[in-house]
Amino acid sequence: MAMACNDYKLTRRRMIGATGASILGMSVEQLLAAQGTSHLPTAEHMILFWNGGGMTHLDTWDPKPGRPTQGEFEPIETSAPGVQISEIFPQLAKQMHHCAVVRSIAGTQGAHGQATYNLQTSYRQAQNLRHPGFGSVVVHERERMGDLPSYISISGRAPRAHYLGQKCEAYFVANPGDRDPYLAFPEGIGQVRGNKRLDVLAKFNRRFNGRSGDKKLASNQTAVKEAVKLMRSPALAAFELDKVPTTTLNRYGDTAFGRGAVLAKRLVETGVRFVQINRGGFDTHSNNFPAMRNHGTVMDPALASLIEDLAKSGLLKKTLVVMLSEFGRTPRINGNAGRDHWPNVFSGFIAGGGVKGGQFVGSSDKDGMQPDKRPVPVADLHASFCHAMGIDPDREVQTPLGRPMKLVDGGKPVIELFG
Amino acid sequence: MMRSLLTVLLALVLLTPAAAADPLGKVLDAENKAKGVTRAALPVINDLSYLRRVTLDLVGRIPTVEEIGQFEALPATSRREKTVERLLADQRLADRWTIFFADMLRLRSNAEGGGASIAFIHRALRDRMPWDEMARRMISASGKAGATPELGFILGDNADPMALAGAAAQVFMGVRVACAQCHDHPFDVWTRKDFYGLAAFFGKTRRVQSQFTNTVYTTEAAQTSVLWPPEGVGEEGTARKPMVPLFPFGLDKGDRPTRPVARLQALRKRQATLAATAAGRKQANSDAGLEALLAAAGSKANSRSAGKKQDTLDVAGEAKRDARKLKVAQARYRASKLRVELARQITDPRNRLFAQSFVNRLWGELMGRGIVEPVDNFAESNPASHPGTLDFLADEFIASGYDIRTILRLVVNSRPYRRQHAIAVADSERIELESAFLATPMRRMLSEVLFDSIVAAGHLFDVKHEKGKNLKVVWQRARIAKKPTGDQSPAVEPRPLAATGKPAAKMKKPAKLTAGSPYDVENAIELDFDALLSESKEEVRIDRMKVMSKEEIEAMRMEQEAAQRRPDVKFFDRFIRTTFDDNPRFTSSMRTASPAAPEHFLRIFGQPSRVTLDEKRDFTPSMRQALMLLNGRLTHEASRVGELEPVYPLLAGKVPDVPAAVRLVYREILTRLPTSSELTEATELIKSSETPLGGMADLRWAMLNSNEFRFLP
Repeated sequence: MAMACNDYKLTRRRMIGATGASILGMSVEQLLAAQGTSHLPTAEHMILFWNGGGMTHLDTWDPKPGRPTQGEFEPIETSAPGVQISEIFPQLAKQMHHCAVVRSIAGTQGAHGQATYNLQTSYRQAQNLRHPGFGSVVVHERERMGDLPSYISISGRAPRAHYLGQKCEAYFVANPGDRDPYLAFPEGIGQVRGNKRLDVLAKFNRRFNGRSGDKKLASNQTAVKEAVKLMRSPALAAFELDKVPTTTLNRYGDTAFGRGAVLAKRLVETGVRFVQINRGGFDTHSNNFPAMRNHGTVMDPALASLIEDLAKSGLLKKTLVVMLSEFGRTPRINGNAGRDHWPNVFSGFIAGGGVKGGQFVGSSDKDGMQPDKRPVPVADLHASFCHAMGIDPDREVQTPLGRPMKLVDGGKPVIELFG
Repeated sequence: MMRSLLTVLLALVLLTPAAAADPLGKVLDAENKAKGVTRAALPVINDLSYLRRVTLDLVGRIPTVEEIGQFEALPATSRREKTVERLLADQRLADRWTIFFADMLRLRSNAEGGGASIAFIHRALRDRMPWDEMARRMISASGKAGATPELGFILGDNADPMALAGAAAQVFMGVRVACAQCHDHPFDVWTRKDFYGLAAFFGKTRRVQSQFTNTVYTTEAAQTSVLWPPEGVGEEGTARKPMVPLFPFGLDKGDRPTRPVARLQALRKRQATLAATAAGRKQANSDAGLEALLAAAGSKANSRSAGKKQDTLDVAGEAKRDARKLKVAQARYRASKLRVELARQITDPRNRLFAQSFVNRLWGELMGRGIVEPVDNFAESNPASHPGTLDFLADEFIASGYDIRTILRLVVNSRPYRRQHAIAVADSERIELESAFLATPMRRMLSEVLFDSIVAAGHLFDVKHEKGKNLKVVWQRARIAKKPTGDQSPAVEPRPLAATGKPAAKMKKPAKLTAGSPYDVENAIELDFDALLSESKEEVRIDRMKVMSKEEIEAMRMEQEAAQRRPDVKFFDRFIRTTFDDNPRFTSSMRTASPAAPEHFLRIFGQPSRVTLDEKRDFTPSMRQALMLLNGRLTHEASRVGELEPVYPLLAGKVPDVPAAVRLVYREILTRLPTSSELTEATELIKSSETPLGGMADLRWAMLNSNEFRFLP
């Protein structure tokens, strides 16, 4: 279980880092060619917006104007010629030249639990084995940058690391802007006294460890050192949203989701590898349209501002921004003006990190019932994220029982995304 | 029954004067000698270290100062053995070892019937139920979640035959056959057909969920769902036939020279005679379930006759009603003949793996390393390091009637258990010593044990501050709605924020210590195991409980969110002041719902999620653990000195005695006295602090965070 997060020897990224080098007789170009592309990975970070409940594809990324399945929303033009999205995203429409949408995700799971599992891990849920979430995969493969934890989950739980080990678990922020009490000495213990306590502790441990070379003892101290380093790190300021100008916060929308997006941006700027922002409320079995309009007012300013700001600072090139949900919703509108679960085809939003903006990949049929062009199996999404981040999706890791498992369940990158 | 068991146990204790003999240590020494191990064993640890080690292992927390006193008052030659007997009789033993079983069986409080199953294990341990009986009940259980408390094992895997075959072999026999579900085992003898043969015992069991009540129960179908050949194997068009149940593990032909099987049979015979005599009535040939119900009715009558309502008793009628219920239940939940047969084979005393794998798990838990390691991987490619020792333990286990305490006693009384850690040696030498059990490896406390030990060390099981001494003011922000425009009167009487005396923006972030605080991850909320079991007798209660569907919850949430965004409603923030007495008490973490939430203290320190078969307790340290202990509420509260603690008068009394205070907390927290330099340093620390109480809190904080505290001696 004591598997380190960065215990790999050769990753594609490191090979690429050594430009021109040849490993195992294969040049970098050959390796890339083996994956069917000449595109170089540029993503260092990933922000995943997880929309729990199953977000309707028809009222967001895949409008069907003039069809009986259209519903109450009209499509609108965007900054990318020929690319239309739902009217609930007026601000994001101005950023679509940075963004791509996959309109042909071919899901297989129609129940929340199994579908969430599938979308977040690339694997089908099995009886006696649990697979790590994609965030854990990323931090297992990519070294930590800076002082902050590599993998942070906001406003809800990200999936667990399972066989990738404790070091690949997400650090959890319940509410963006809240101070984590565990990052400072307890209330009433000032810096001076806290530091004095640490000195006393160090003395205790020096004496106890004595001449013992047992790594179990030393590793405890390493954990304490890391903790203290984090407590003292200036990077912690990234969590403090009260330092963000009110105008910025308002631009993202004064919502938990908006603050989550601001926090995600600040975390990525500080070097965090993977940020997951969780939000629910998409299981619109009834009153789908007012609910989605409401979701639009929450998501639109946040998403648009995030893309705009990342693009301005140049960080978008290095940051993959993805919005996913466990499945789409029925094209047929039910008796309660709602839509039910629909895994057969749905959409995903993806921008930055080398993704070519202003395009759709794949399509659904005229009513949004089935994939039409270029069906994308779920694992292909994860393989694409890996591709963007320079991670080999086929690399095998061992479970504690010694069973070899691939990082991604056999997907192939969707090369069209990368232009 | 209880008395007879106690008599038997007492006889066993008297027959094995462990102190003099240490039969286990002797077997191990001889085996090491035969293996050509030349290194010398490390000496045994001192008395107080032993007390700490064995208390942590058997009852799951550090010894209290009173227990240290009792220990020291015992004669030096027998205090260790006497303490072991005291701990084996301690009611916390069941708490601590329930964790061991719940991990092994992957019992989850939040799973169907999981809570009742954990309570079942707890009671079985308390009442000294033999392991073979526990196993038989769990393997063969049929019925309704909760009402049949043993059902957690079968329902934990959703009664899936393939999953259960893998789990049964690994849990009850330490054999990993799960790989053979999809292919012949790559490193072992197990074939796919073996796996399917085992799975076929579970093939007719079905998990059923009532559409009307959401109740979950098992039943037996007429047809098996396990077919051979497996899907995709064999030529196309080959008919797949029901797989014949076949137990793939070999049973011993006869008894072993030490005659464990014969001894077991003799013991069980004696127990049966004693039980029959005690009951004062001969065994009827009637339905065993009915018999049990009647016996229960009898005990109800006894307990009630002690009360006032004698006249209203209707014992016979009640028993009849219960019996009717049982008959109805039996018809609905049809018991599994196949699993009864499987349970019989698994727990057959000639099935060596059943006893061996269990004693190996116990040994591994206490020694930090199994004789077969990993403990659940008995395989030809992974032989036992000390097969003779393993057989000795297995024989004694069988002969004791699968009595768990017998093995705990044997191990903790043995010399190998009492040995020191190897320090100041090269890693290779240390590993050599540890694998020959000539030295004990460093072991971290289990997460639950660490939690309870901090609570015990800081006197937090009881209130430790005087009433009103820790008044705290909490400011909480509340969002309040005004009524829609047009109606001028506010929905709630608004009070301008300025009335609090400070502008809201500069107000100190409220110290959240109430419900919903970020410190919830250190709380432990005790479950009432008895209630969990008694509730299970209520057939209808769960049926009537209307469970809200996910959609309903979601709709409610969305409604709330929409309401918050209504344009005609205006909101304003208000800070609400509450004063409360911050005088926390903590309960034992061993009786809380388990596994805890993923961010909870217990999980951060390694409690497994108990979902997958391959998940082990994680004993690796992490930054998150360090943050939790350095800055968490539990260590903070445990460090603070309360007026009701014994150390208080030594620091703040009329005649302070700081060295005495230091000596006391060393005993309380580390189960030893300080060395002279430690005493000087600690006294200095306290005297140089702003207040002696603050200095003592600093000292205790450092002790609780130290390696010495977290590792077993």
